[in-house]
Parts: sequence; C-alpha cells; structure tokens
Amino acid sequence: MRNDKSLLRTNEKDIKAERAPEISEMATGTSGTYSPSQCLERKQQEQKRKTFQEVDWARSDGRNFHQCRPAFLRTGAASVASGSAYAEFGSTKVIVSVFGPRESKKAMMYSDVGRLNCHVSYTTFSTPIRGQGSDNKEYSSLLHKALEGAIRLKTFPKTTVDIFALVLESGGGDLPVIISCASLAIADAGIMMYDLVSAVSLSCIGKKLVIDPTSEEEAWQDGSLMITYMPSRNEVTQFTLTGEWSTPKINEAMELCLDACSKLADILRLCLKENALELAP
Amino acid sequence: MRETSLSLPAINDEAMIATEPEIPQAIDVLCSDSIATPGEILGDSSQFIAGKGSYLAPNGRNIHASITGHRRVLPPPADSTEKRSTVEVVGHKSRGAVPEPGVVVIARVTRVMARMVSADIMCVESKAVKEKFTGIIRQQDVRATEIDKVDMYQSFQPGDVVKAVVLSLGDARAYYLSTAKNELGVVSAQSMAGATMVPISWTEMQCPSTGQIEKRKVAKVLQTFFHFRI
Repeated sequence: MRNDKSLLRTNEKDIKAERAPEISEMATGTSGTYSPSQCLERKQQEQKRKTFQEVDWARSDGRNFHQCRPAFLRTGAASVASGSAYAEFGSTKVIVSVFGPRESKKAMMYSDVGRLNCHVSYTTFSTPIRGQGSDNKEYSSLLHKALEGAIRLKTFPKTTVDIFALVLESGGGDLPVIISCASLAIADAGIMMYDLVSAVSLSCIGKKLVIDPTSEEEAWQDGSLMITYMPSRNEVTQFTLTGEWSTPKINEAMELCLDACSKLADILRLCLKENALELAP
Repeated sequence: MRETSLSLPAINDEAMIATEPEIPQAIDVLCSDSIATPGEILGDSSQFIAGKGSYLAPNGRNIHASITGHRRVLPPPADSTEKRSTVEVVGHKSRGAVPEPGVVVIARVTRVMARMVSADIMCVESKAVKEKFTGIIRQQDVRATEIDKVDMYQSFQPGDVVKAVVLSLGDARAYYLSTAKNELGVVSAQSMAGATMVPISWTEMQCPSTGQIEKRKVAKVLQTFFHFRI
C-alpha cells in the first residue's frame, strides 16, 4: 500500500508540473478566450485527484472499465470527396475525407506503388480552450503508419491518395477514432484494402485498466496503449505504448484491446453494408 | 445509366434462341448477405480463384474481399483446364477511374511541340475522371506507318479532343499515349473560324462554315453502342 501511495504521489507531481505552465499561460492571457472557471480550477483538480486515488471509482459517463463508448458511424458525409466518413464516439467527433487516386504532384519522383498522404487537423473549437489541439503534428504520421499496412498500394501505381481528417470535437481517444473513421472512408472510396482497420486505446490509471478513455481520464493516466488491428487477417498494423508497464499488465491490456478491436470492426462492417444497401439500384 | 441502342429486329422467339450468344451466365445473388466488405472471406482457394476486387491470403488458403460490393461467382471458362470458379466483388460505388496500360482514353490536347504533344486525360473507358491526368503522345506513336516523317502540327492542334490508348505508365510527369490505329486520333476539333469541323479523310477535316480544310490525324469512328455512365 505504501509503495502504491508513493507511486501515486510522484505521478501527481508530474501531472502538476504538466499543468502548471498551462495555468500561467491562461493567467497572462496568451492563448485566447478567457475561461471563467480559472479560479475553481485548483479545487476541481484536488477533487479529481482524490477520485482517481480511490480503489473503486465510477466513470463519469457510467460505463464500466472494460466498456467502450457507443459509436455512431456514417459514410458519404462529404459528397465532393471520393469517399468520406463521419464518426462519433461519445463526445469525440471526427470527419475524414479521402481524395483519389489522383495524379501526384509533378515534383515527386516516379514510384511503382501508390502514395498515401495523410493530414490530421483540429478545428479551433474542438478543445475546451480555444486554440490548437495538442499533439496533432505527429498524428498525421501516426495515421499514415497505421493505414499503409492495410492499403494495397500496388493497385494504383504512380498516383496519390490524399486523406484529410478533421476533428470537430476532441473528447478523448482521438487517434483511434481518427484511424477507424479513416479506414471506413477509404473503404467508401472504393480503394482496395487488405482489410478494415480498427483501433482502440486503453489507459492505465493507478492499477486499473480503463478502455476507451475520455479526455479527462487521459489527462490522469499513468500509461497508455493503442492497438490498430486488422481482424480478418489477425494482424496488428500499429502498436503504441507510453508510460510504465509490467509484462503481465501489457498482456492483459493487449487482450482487452484486441477483443475491443474485433468488435469495433464488426460495427464498421455493419455500417458499410447498411450504406451499400442504401445505394444499391 | 442511360443506354441508346440501334433499333432491334422484330422479336421472334425461335430466331432469338438460335442466335443467343454463348456467354457464361454470371450467378448474381442479390440479397443482403452477399455484400462483401474489405477483408471478408469469400471462399476457399481450393474451390475458387480470386477475381476482381479480391485477393489470395498469404497463407494461400482463403480468398478475401478488397472492396465493398456484391459477391459474384463466375463459372470457369469452358476452354481451359481450370476447374475452379472465379469469385469477384463488383463495387457498388466504383472508385475514380485511373489510366492503366491498354485502356482507351479520351484526352484534350494542351500543347503541341516538335516531337510530342501534351494532352489532359479526361475520360478513361467511358468513365470521366474527377481530376485530370497528364498524357504525352510522342512523334513515333502518332501513327503506324512512316513514323519518322510525322509532322506534329499537321496531326494535332491545341484544343482537339483525341481518342488514344495508354501505352504505359510513362515517367513521373505523364502517361505515354498512342494514336497508332485507325480508330484512334482526333475525334472532334474546332476550325480557326470557331466551328466544329467535319472529317473528310484520315488526314483532313473541313470547316462547315468557311470550307477551309485543315490537316489532322483523324480517328475512324465506327458504329457502336454508346453507354453513358455518370
């Protein structure tokens, strides 16, 4: 117990250090709109810390720890694009449009296989504090790595497929939602793939493994695991691990994630089939 | 899908049975179960061959779908030793057209130079592309005979609509096209006066309003069924 408490305390300090610059930024007013809850911020943080320290705490949206958020998926959201999809996982809302295959830019060298160009951007109103979303610079390359293993690039040589993801509201677990939505959009565009790609992330808070975390739970996490999985082929295209993990914990977390990924892939397939039936002449 | 066809002969049951062509009948099961999504297993490799829109798994046992669409089984061709049927996925929403070697494309000429002509590919096999591709017709690919004596300025002019076949993927900048067949070449062109010209031979077109004759490499357009697909 003592070890656990000390572990928690050091983590609190880390989290405090992370939070401090944000508060000072807000005080000097560099980031934009004024948030009226500034003064209550510290008290709320104290309360939150206590909740996560307890052995049994309830998630704010009433799920249990191994339950994912309900998903709402639609294809054909943007008619100008070759393929598009809209996904809502709790309060995370993402729209992905796919253009292509189209001619590569003249400056690029000839390539035998197709090229993939991914871009992830956040709207200014997607986060509670108006302004740039965090970590979105590396999301573009992470999305690229997750998808390139699933697309049959040899079927469109010399051309480029452009994928643009726009996060309308960032409610936690953004990257897995972006990846799943992107694979749905690519399937909608009729581009040949090996399999649909589904992604699920998992947070480790204290000793608990919490699947599909919200942004609040992500802020208090000690470690995270994200798996991008192709269920029919039983292959993982991307595996991201942050924080401190012991081997049995990783095994348990992986099993949870892979199971959730398979179920999510079934939902993605159902969405594609429903939309296909609608379009059938 | 609009189809305009020539007038049909008088319907006579016996005549129709006699002239029915021998084509393999595709077994098309149109129910909700047969919509395949990428990655779904379509069949076993011992019973089927992977056709369009599907691929063979690395372990060599299963055939998976590659796109979303209806699952179709085609019987094996009668003349080969292959006993297995072909399973394919016919896309309900086909992806944008991409030029591939061997397909006929419609292009519009943008630049005419001494040894080659630059053209923007607008349609690939009767399907319009969403964004244009760049193609090149080289001097030696304009026609089949006397290829070193070709004058590019007397074969094409900027703005001409040309029917060509894709030779290869070419280089980074453009696809290589060829008009070296009777049915390939300029399909539609405007005269210097601005009127659409009428072809009078395989090298000449005439303006209907001024009577002026201009030289082009003209395509011989045969009577065909025109399928419009948007």
